Amino acid sequence: MWEAIAFYSLAIFLIYFAFKTITVPNPIHAALYLVLTMIGLGAAFFNLGAQFIAGVQMIVYAGAVMVLFVMVLMLFDLKAELRAFSRGLFSGGLKVMSAALLAGLAIGAANSSVAILENPDSAKPVADVTRQLGILLYTKYLYAFEALGILLLAVAVGVVAVSRIKGGTHAQH
Amino acid sequence: MLSIETLLHVGLPHYIFLSGILFSFGMIAVLMRRNVIVMLMGVELMLNAVNLSFIAFSKESGNLNGHIMVFFVMTIAAAEAGVGLALAVAIYKKFHEVNIRFFEHLRG
Amino acid sequence: MGSDAFEIGVNFLKMVIVFLMMVQVVPLLVWVERRGSAYIQNRFGPNRVGPLGLMQLLADAVKFLTKQEFVPARGYPVLFYIAPVIAMIPAALAFGAIPLSMPVQVDAFEWLGQHWGPYVFKFQSYEIGIGVVFVLGVSSLAAFGVLLAGYGSNNKYALFGALRASAQTISYELAMGLSIVGVILLFNTFSFTEIVNAQSAPLAFNFFGHKLDWGPLPNWGIFYQPLGAILLFSAMFAETNRLPFDLPEAEGELVAGYHNEYAGFKFNMFFIGEYGHMLVASALMVIFYFGGYTIYPFLTPETAPHIVAPIASALGWSTNSTAVSLLGALLLHVVLLLKVVLFLWIFIWVRWTLPRFRYDQLMDLGWRKMLPWALFNTILTATVILVMHHSWGA
Repeated sequence: MWEAIAFYSLAIFLIYFAFKTITVPNPIHAALYLVLTMIGLGAAFFNLGAQFIAGVQMIVYAGAVMVLFVMVLMLFDLKAELRAFSRGLFSGGLKVMSAALLAGLAIGAANSSVAILENPDSAKPVADVTRQLGILLYTKYLYAFEALGILLLAVAVGVVAVSRIKGGTHAQH
Repeated sequence: MLSIETLLHVGLPHYIFLSGILFSFGMIAVLMRRNVIVMLMGVELMLNAVNLSFIAFSKESGNLNGHIMVFFVMTIAAAEAGVGLALAVAIYKKFHEVNIRFFEHLRG
Repeated sequence: MGSDAFEIGVNFLKMVIVFLMMVQVVPLLVWVERRGSAYIQNRFGPNRVGPLGLMQLLADAVKFLTKQEFVPARGYPVLFYIAPVIAMIPAALAFGAIPLSMPVQVDAFEWLGQHWGPYVFKFQSYEIGIGVVFVLGVSSLAAFGVLLAGYGSNNKYALFGALRASAQTISYELAMGLSIVGVILLFNTFSFTEIVNAQSAPLAFNFFGHKLDWGPLPNWGIFYQPLGAILLFSAMFAETNRLPFDLPEAEGELVAGYHNEYAGFKFNMFFIGEYGHMLVASALMVIFYFGGYTIYPFLTPETAPHIVAPIASALGWSTNSTAVSLLGALLLHVVLLLKVVLFLWIFIWVRWTLPRFRYDQLMDLGWRKMLPWALFNTILTATVILVMHHSWGA
């Protein structure tokens, strides 16, 4: 009973915050609503027993990525958003309906494939999730882990290279 | 089909439904908003919705492959957000505009 | 929260008391800072209001409460009001997860005609198995309070201060997280209580498979991770925006940085947040590196009841096991408080001794010096643990 109440209140908050994210005209307010959505998702992960992933979500997403988003938005001196949404009611309605159609297809497919999932193995011990995650990462998924490290190195170098483009607001030509 | 029993006993389909709704919200943001940064935020919302579905499936099937997948998706999404923001800053420095309608037509 | 009404009530009361403890430390800390800085600078501090100036903070609180509340013209009212709250809440959440003493064991007793069973109350607001990750996660949310304060003020200087402060915060979070990874590798657990329990033992480590034991010294983290302790302490200075990483609040440069437009009680809430973060930082240092609430072999969860029982019987208090457990927990809590106060004094001492870093020096220190050293510390720790066949659980 408490589980249902927890899930439904969390779901209502998440849907409300995500809806406000995409409909609010001011982009900084949208970023702040997205932060609230991510904190709510961290709570949802904790509810599903993924405590370490919930912690990592708070540290990485809500604490670093969204701070970057908000910082970049504050650097832009945006006047009032003239046209926040794309023009035209018909094309907008078409886009919303196509997104809803995709979501419906995905949900239907997921729900009808639940029956063919493999049965749960032995009960997963709750308290050692991080250790098992670590063991999996370093034995079965080692190649992907190392490739991820190289990818992050490439991204870091690329970001530094992109931000050295000449031509700022006070550039003299 | 929609009995009180299925509504109260929270299981995998509920989480999939929630994840699907969040994903469609993200997609609508990418399609309908004009600010480049808000479109990037829509992409982040989509990735987060997918993370939620991975964790829900992982709990249902009892092994930790979903957690590993979420680990990788989170890392790559953070890296991609960094690159996207760096590009947005570079574009703003040159054009003083972050509205994608301005960039719709390729100029030679 | 608990299984029956008594347990739920006591846990709720505990949460409120721990939160109030964090808030009430702030006036005391500000008094210590003002008198301490005066002592360092060879002058008197506040000494008019009350004996030794102790009522000065009460007078300040009354002043703050009676100031006019306003929002800057064309500022964003919602963001302006919510920023100090966001600056304060992560510190309160993080402080609730840190164990302040050993768990108190209450025997079965009878009250109001009902039997209330034996309980174990932890001496913290809530116990989370992944305590360390939780504390890291919520401290990283403190950057938002700064950003919203700068943006909601609609003031160019406040915005610059806010951007600088948040950039500094997220840069030093990396060095902080990596130093904490060294501690996690060493003690092989995320939970604070287990880290403290591992440190209330004699200093024992494996040396290529042989177990070495050095009796007199306790198993404190500082003996294993001196570099990590220095890195964590320095990174904590940057996280709390204290001097020498004080540029966002620089009085001479940006007027007052991101809390430029704040007056009255909202300004006070920023300082509750800053001193709360200082308190959390000192508590983390004590728990990771200096043994937490124990001093082996004198004061540990095993020996505290034996020390307390004769004193309680000499003073005529009841000596049933509940009272002994409670008094032992209080004794260990005093031990923790003494250690935390030492580190808080070091925070204040450093503030009035060192000059301020310039912004490029600050970023250079964070990215080009602290991050490589923190990585080196992590790699060294992992290598030593692997080579020496360290048995898990110290």
